[in-house]
Amino acid sequence: MRPARNQIIKKKLARTFDLPPAVLLDQATIHILGDAEAKIVNHKGLVQYTNTCIKARSNQGIIEVVGSDLEITSFSSSEIKISGTIREVMLK
Amino acid sequence: MTSLWMWWQGYVTVRLRGPGLERLLNRMAELGFVIQWVERLTTDVIIVRLRVKDFRRLRPLLWGTQVSVSILDKHGAPFWFKRFRLRASLALGLLLSFFFVLYLSNFVWFIEVRGSETLSLETLSSAVQDLGLQAGVARSTIKPREIEAELLKRFPVLAWAQVTVKGVRVEISLTERDGVEPEESGPGHVYAAMDGVVTEVLVLRGTPHVKDGQTVRKGDLLISGEYYDARGRKQYGAAQGVIKARVWYEGIGEGSLVRWEPVHTGRNHRQYAITIGNITIPVGRSYSLETHLKSEKEWQLSLGQAMVPLRFARIDYQEVEYIKVHVPSEEARREALRMAWDNLKKQGVDEDQVREERQQVDFLTDAEGVRVTLQVEVLDDIGQFLTH
Repeated sequence: MRPARNQIIKKKLARTFDLPPAVLLDQATIHILGDAEAKIVNHKGLVQYTNTCIKARSNQGIIEVVGSDLEITSFSSSEIKISGTIREVMLK
Repeated sequence: MTSLWMWWQGYVTVRLRGPGLERLLNRMAELGFVIQWVERLTTDVIIVRLRVKDFRRLRPLLWGTQVSVSILDKHGAPFWFKRFRLRASLALGLLLSFFFVLYLSNFVWFIEVRGSETLSLETLSSAVQDLGLQAGVARSTIKPREIEAELLKRFPVLAWAQVTVKGVRVEISLTERDGVEPEESGPGHVYAAMDGVVTEVLVLRGTPHVKDGQTVRKGDLLISGEYYDARGRKQYGAAQGVIKARVWYEGIGEGSLVRWEPVHTGRNHRQYAITIGNITIPVGRSYSLETHLKSEKEWQLSLGQAMVPLRFARIDYQEVEYIKVHVPSEEARREALRMAWDNLKKQGVDEDQVREERQQVDFLTDAEGVRVTLQVEVLDDIGQFLTH
């Protein structure tokens, strides 16, 4: 119950002081450039990696990128850059 | 920018094979590994690019897992410098070759002659060599104007000569005169070129000083250039005529009664040689000709009429042992006689003109050879014109 309450407080704080929620709430950010590139910032780990599907954990759930010829162009503890043909990006 | 930085630091392409590769990637990312271009090949194989220093930290992570790692390729500046260090001699060789070619370009390597019709290439070649122009000489030593003047002086048949230095090539352009008359000889006498007994005197111009049957010594005056013309005036001109005499020639030849015949041992060696101008560079070892038979095949680079000074030769050495073989005395005598005749022919004796022949055969003191002394009598024109 404690993390949920913390989240609510942080959300209210962000709204009150007009702060970026991604920073305050430790939320993941997804950038998509056309259908060829995607960047997941602030992920919490890679779950699955195939040529058609890349799944990464985040505080909000599992981020799933579906497409073809998917490749991880760079991978670090905070960021995953994906290239290929992206068809779907889902948060589950 | 990241790629360039990775290249500068050096990176490796590695293949990771095994289960739970995503977990491994997460662990690597947590430890601050820079992971680039991750490719999934199969369900249990991925290819990743890692910095060299990260690769060194990877091994401990694999302990206790079923993941195996292998390096597929190495990239970047450290590997490039390492390769360059290993091939330093090659780079040095290239640099030296460059300077060597630069040095060689200071010399003349090709001489081209144009416009010579009656003058042979050999004559011209020998003449220009006398004047210091030949393949292999420094370009700075060539004096085109002096060579042109000297060529015109030496060959009256030439109306014009031009020597042009074009890089490593020298062009000699010539124009010949039409219908050049041979030079008239000046006044002079006819002298005996050798000892003999005069058999025939035919005077075309001048005064004879010998008669038939007279014995003359080498250097005696035969026909004088002084004579009196039809008006009784004394004239001095070029003596002309034919003085035939019986002349003796002697030729000596020796034939060996022992012959050393080479027997091939079966061992062969090969050597190559590159000749640039007057410089020969052997590639491979030379072998003594006392114990080896040598055969050579040569290739000369030719570019049209140009005299190219680059030759390439292949030299084959066959190792031999010599065994002593006895030669029959008749065969040795025949060989000695043939040599004696060769000797006579070199002195200008025509075999068909021989009137009398004397032969003497002696065995040499070491009993390993025979000597044939051959004396022949021929009828010869012994007159030799000399100017004053």
